[in-house]
Amino acid sequence: MKFHWFHLMPYPYLPDRFRERYPSVWVDLPAGEIYDPVKGHQVYNDYLDQLEFAERAGFDGICVNEHHQNGYGLMPSPNLMAAALARRTSKAKLIVLGNSVALYDPPTRVAEEMAMLDVLSGGRLVSGFPVGTGMDTAFCYGANPATLREKYREGVELILRAWKTRKPFAFNGKYTQLRYVNPWPVPLQTPHPPIWIPGGGSIETWEWCVENDFLYAYLSYWGYQSGRPVMDGFWETVERLGADRNPYRAGFLQFVGVADNDADAERLYAGPAEYFYNRCFHIGAGYYSPPGYSSVATIRRGVNSAVVQASKHLRTTSVTWKHLIDDGVIIAGSPQTIVDRLNDMADKINVGHVMLLCQFGNMPMETVLYNTARFARDVMPKLRDRFSEHEDRWWPKATVEVQKPASVSIAAE
Amino acid sequence: MFASEIIRHPDGRTSKVFRVGQGPLVVWLHGPRGIRGSDPVIHELAKRHTVVAPLAPGFADLTELDEIRNVHELALHYDDVLQALGLDAVTLIGHSFGAMVAAEVAAHFPRRVARLVLISPLGLWQDQHPLPDMFGQVPYMTIDTLLWKAGKAIPAMADPADEPNDPVERQVAIAQALTSVAKFVWPLPDRGLRRRLPRIMAQTLVIAGGDDRFVPASYVEEFASLIRGAGMAIIPDAAHMVPYEQPADVFRKLDGWIRAGAFSDEAEAASGQKMRQKVKG
Repeated sequence: MKFHWFHLMPYPYLPDRFRERYPSVWVDLPAGEIYDPVKGHQVYNDYLDQLEFAERAGFDGICVNEHHQNGYGLMPSPNLMAAALARRTSKAKLIVLGNSVALYDPPTRVAEEMAMLDVLSGGRLVSGFPVGTGMDTAFCYGANPATLREKYREGVELILRAWKTRKPFAFNGKYTQLRYVNPWPVPLQTPHPPIWIPGGGSIETWEWCVENDFLYAYLSYWGYQSGRPVMDGFWETVERLGADRNPYRAGFLQFVGVADNDADAERLYAGPAEYFYNRCFHIGAGYYSPPGYSSVATIRRGVNSAVVQASKHLRTTSVTWKHLIDDGVIIAGSPQTIVDRLNDMADKINVGHVMLLCQFGNMPMETVLYNTARFARDVMPKLRDRFSEHEDRWWPKATVEVQKPASVSIAAE
Repeated sequence: MFASEIIRHPDGRTSKVFRVGQGPLVVWLHGPRGIRGSDPVIHELAKRHTVVAPLAPGFADLTELDEIRNVHELALHYDDVLQALGLDAVTLIGHSFGAMVAAEVAAHFPRRVARLVLISPLGLWQDQHPLPDMFGQVPYMTIDTLLWKAGKAIPAMADPADEPNDPVERQVAIAQALTSVAKFVWPLPDRGLRRRLPRIMAQTLVIAGGDDRFVPASYVEEFASLIRGAGMAIIPDAAHMVPYEQPADVFRKLDGWIRAGAFSDEAEAASGQKMRQKVKG
């Protein structure tokens, strides 16, 4: 099993009585009224410190992602954060779970920036291509939801062709036409970095991932029990298409809080958890699934994405720590409790790549570091051997020695 | 259900067209709620007219939209439909999204449309009067609160899917209808129609509900002012779904307009200003 430290970069100063005062944390939450860039300066730097600490603690990967006009996701450009991390880390893989390819014209911009990150980091990049949520794509970026997925697929196809071909060609697509496709630089990894597809339960995405041997990452915010129908659907698709049930084909996102015992966990993590679910996840119901975003087949299957679930969970009621623990949304408690639960998760949904949210909501710095260090020290070693019989073909393969930042100067005249 | 036929486009695609009633022929282009089996507007129109009502592409099957990439290709699609039906110099009546389509057809193919009726038309954007977001409504994807005066659909239009009336199929029907509309109006319903409206040669009547919370009066006025000689009629006690909310008033106004000359050669020769006065009177 591999463990990755995932940061959403939530804004930790969302006002009290947030749900009563604002219709949505996303899309139309007034930026100038809520976001204070002076506080933001510290927030960004603290969050980058936390990601860098995760490497030192022993996590395999550090994850950044992409959201727009969002009070719980301050990374409209995950590439900028990954670039900052590339310089101050050297071992952890950089798992960049943006870029929402359909938002970039031409998509070769994504090929360029991802290749820059791969070269800069010494071949440590995992290249994530999410469709992007309806909020990010359709409502914030004006992408037409009726054509979003087709445009996205075409963009990914173009990027991969550019990385594999590595010489000029013309591309006559439905959404992109380019006379000269020839992005510089080329990625360090050959033919290209591993491709991870963050998904939310769309049937077509399962098939597409299996057919192209992409990793499928389900970024659920609701724990592995409620994520199970989606992961079952993915594994059924894997079997139906004749691929192997290699757990490293899949990733799953999990909130976690390590403490001495249950009471201690509540003391440390209840506040930040309730902040996240009651403020950060207060998403305007009108925004979460624009028409055309989900295919008819997906609607008929009745699989809802994490954000759709969020809206259903949270529209009327406030979430409490008890609810989050009882429903398995957050795994918290003693190291043994967490080991047991993650073993159960491995049994039930067969995921080799576990992305952990050790920071959530407005968690203070010292709690984040404590949670991170204890997970790495007390939990990780007991789960390391899970799935060791499988080869992880969805992981960067080191090819160069990573060059550390140097402090250069010239001699005074 | 109404009688229907399948017509074939030159490239092999097909379209479904409903046909009902007797009398002078009119073509009805429906709005965001599609065509229901008990559609009261079509019933009302069919009392005095042969109503030809094409189902907009995508409403029954989203793959129909795959090769209709923009409003220009949508206008071509309807030109194909009218060509296949052998219809020329038609009377085209559109509602809401359908009125936007009707205006596009009349602007792209001015000789194809002799008389044009735009009821609560979409297709423009005014910065001073931004339209509410029809796709960001709460509860989820429920546009009824925005469209209907009472905040909910009349019983005859309440079920978005005719049969079977199950919750999933209702959701599919709404998703297909709104996706089909969204393709041509997302994120704002402005694809440059303002620049094309002066091309329209048809005698035109613009109708709107006096209490439309979705498309305000300033939009209706701009449509009427940009189409040469267009008349305008505001129906009281009705909102965006005015033909469903006040069918008798709408079609009395429409019939009056038609009787006043819209179907006669004399009227076709008459000036638009004269038409406008008649409607207002």
